Amino acid sequence: MKEEFLLGNGAMALGLLEAGCQIMTSYPGTPSSEILPEMVRFSKAANLNTGIEWSVNEKVAFDNAFAAAISGKRAACCMKMVGLNVAADSFMSAAYIGNIGGFVIISCDDPGPHSSQTEQDSRMMARLGKVPVFDPASPEEAREMIKAAFDLSEEFQVPVLVRPAIRICHARQNIKYDRLESNMTKAEFKREPSRWASTPKFRFMQHKALNEKHVQIAEKFSTLTPYNIHNLAKGKHYPFGIVTGGVPSSVVRDLFEEYERDDIPVLKLGAPYPFPEKLSDEFMDACDKVLVIEETDTVIEYMLRDKHKTLGRLSSHVPMEGELLPEKIEVMLNKALLDCALDPLSGSDCGMEAFGLVGSLELPIRKPTLCPGCPHRASFYSIRKALPKAIFPSDIGCYTLGINLGVVDTVLDMGAGITMASGFWNAYIQDDVKKPIVATMGDSTFFHSGTTGLINAVYNDARFILVILDNHITAMTGMQPAITQGDRVDGRKGNAISLETIVKGCGVEYLKVVDPYDTRHMIKVVKEAAEHVNDPDGGVAVVIARHPCVIAFKDEAIPEKFEIEISDECDDCGFCHLRFECPAMVRNEETEKTEINPVLCAQCGVCLTICPKDAIETV
Amino acid sequence: MRTMNYVLSGLGGQGILFMTKIFATTALNKGYNILGAETHGMAQRGGSVVSHLRIGDAASSLIRAGAADFLISMDESEAYRHLPYLKKGGKLFANASSDAFPDERVAGYLDKMQIEPYAMEAGKTAMELGSPRSTNLAMIAFYSAFEVGPLSADDLRGTVDNISPGPFKEKNLKIFDTCHDVGRKIISGDIYGTF
Repeated sequence: MKEEFLLGNGAMALGLLEAGCQIMTSYPGTPSSEILPEMVRFSKAANLNTGIEWSVNEKVAFDNAFAAAISGKRAACCMKMVGLNVAADSFMSAAYIGNIGGFVIISCDDPGPHSSQTEQDSRMMARLGKVPVFDPASPEEAREMIKAAFDLSEEFQVPVLVRPAIRICHARQNIKYDRLESNMTKAEFKREPSRWASTPKFRFMQHKALNEKHVQIAEKFSTLTPYNIHNLAKGKHYPFGIVTGGVPSSVVRDLFEEYERDDIPVLKLGAPYPFPEKLSDEFMDACDKVLVIEETDTVIEYMLRDKHKTLGRLSSHVPMEGELLPEKIEVMLNKALLDCALDPLSGSDCGMEAFGLVGSLELPIRKPTLCPGCPHRASFYSIRKALPKAIFPSDIGCYTLGINLGVVDTVLDMGAGITMASGFWNAYIQDDVKKPIVATMGDSTFFHSGTTGLINAVYNDARFILVILDNHITAMTGMQPAITQGDRVDGRKGNAISLETIVKGCGVEYLKVVDPYDTRHMIKVVKEAAEHVNDPDGGVAVVIARHPCVIAFKDEAIPEKFEIEISDECDDCGFCHLRFECPAMVRNEETEKTEINPVLCAQCGVCLTICPKDAIETV
Repeated sequence: MRTMNYVLSGLGGQGILFMTKIFATTALNKGYNILGAETHGMAQRGGSVVSHLRIGDAASSLIRAGAADFLISMDESEAYRHLPYLKKGGKLFANASSDAFPDERVAGYLDKMQIEPYAMEAGKTAMELGSPRSTNLAMIAFYSAFEVGPLSADDLRGTVDNISPGPFKEKNLKIFDTCHDVGRKIISGDIYGTF
């Protein structure tokens, strides 16, 4: 028996292997990214034969795992919740078709949001796709639920969704575990075209069969202890109760224990869909009012279907947006209890006074920035310098932080840097305006969702510059290996894919590769690319800005070090802060000049060319 | 034992995850259950990092505002930013110069909440001892001098001893002992450390 202080994502990796998951696929995205590497770690340590891969995107990951599941193996895929949007087409269809070996999808939610473009609730996707869903309340429970999800998936031959929220994924808990065993089930795909390749007529039948399964699963979910459970005393009636699930159910448990409130019954729904009607009816019948505390949307609240008894988001007792932090839950519980003429939990102001005080201190605002020495900073500087009046559609990754340098105008979703560039071109050219447009996208995002947009742009003769920021790594989500390098998740070598080949294969004629650290050259190339875009015989121009990530490849990224100082020529014009925004360049309020912070400076020397007054020098 | 809640705060690069690891490993060795919450992804690029650590049988990983027993901060501003988490009678440990700590604008609030603030220049001390990156270790040692909470100074020092790799062991223990002594001297009244 071993014990580790494991990340929730590690606990889930353990649960997957304990459940006998044989094939596991994913595309990285916060808060899901550590599940796959943790699985590799456990799998290697126990000498298991687990097939684990970083896929090119979430849809690819889904389909890969699904094929294994209909071949009889236990398979899973994981992603962040907006990744499930990318895989939505497969997700909806797979629910109808079903599977043979257990098939589990883990979609990690980000209430807050802390590191995402939306706060969407994956349980909503479960309802839309008619896929049963589990909602864990702790890392340990997530680990156990994954095993229950596999069993359910195999029993009813349906995909099952597990949706841990960020406070599960990035929580840590001491977890004990035993030796892991390999699942030796062999792949055996049995041909059955009417099922695996069903036409619309058969789809109707499959839909009907799925609905029938749901009736049975809802029945099962009504007795699914300890995930779905209430603590009503037999025959007792209550003026007020709580219906909750997932992360908020843990907060409620802590609050009731701390304030010693055993007078308020709780219905916990850790498996809320298909909705356990029987269990919830028992609870609703025993309570005059219930407060629904769930993250992040109104899934349980709608399914309870009783607006006269139910307090929650629809009655303004629970905020419609944002994470349900423990202090917020205390506030809402106090209010709901008072509204029901009961004693509140506490007279605490839940930190309100202190938060107000902190607000008045005007503490330094610490916004996310690109790292000192980051090659993206050099690229953004050059792009802006070459074409200051352009529209700058961008995308999702570290380089979203180019917003700080004024070179990111839009961020919609993965791949939209290119597709929105096309869209801007079309919108302006309709008015006979040739608007300069420079799109930016990282290499991983380009493989994930960039190529279709680029093919479309070339086909429809849109005109813009695409700068692919190739730093040899997927950095923002925690340094996953890049397709351009060919390294796989378990350290084995795959095949490297060349960006140049793909770009040319998409029909792009203008392609230049630059090292962004050489800003003068990059500025020249971007200007030249603009000429190609404007040439009647030209087209989309692609510039690959290639330089390794300064965090992942420290020595390669900065082969020559420059010790930098700012001379007296600095006249405090602020240009470097506005257009270069390096954390190592700090304005000294007393001298009213810029200084270099030697602890932060990466000594990349890129800043040597940027100062309009030539005040940046080597020592 | 009642759950003991630690909020650890600081800046990116100060090694807050290592600090968490020292506390967690110590608690684990003593047989306690632990739950923690960390910062990853885009939020991590922000500079302001926080780690919640709950020793005991808690269910949720986040500490509620007004419920932390201890706030240990490697940066003065970050100490103030997370002040709302401290409960009445909680204890604040900050890497700050004791001459100007706490900021007069929060003194009234600390008084009212009976929060005891303690400061030492942990970063400066670590730098003087030749380990500019060991502010985290310095703050753990400083905290340990006060013998509050379920982890004793000996327990914490033992963990530092165990998990420091060979070449760093001596240096790390020296930092630990030096900063622990600073705390001891504040308690005995030998030096001023804001009380």
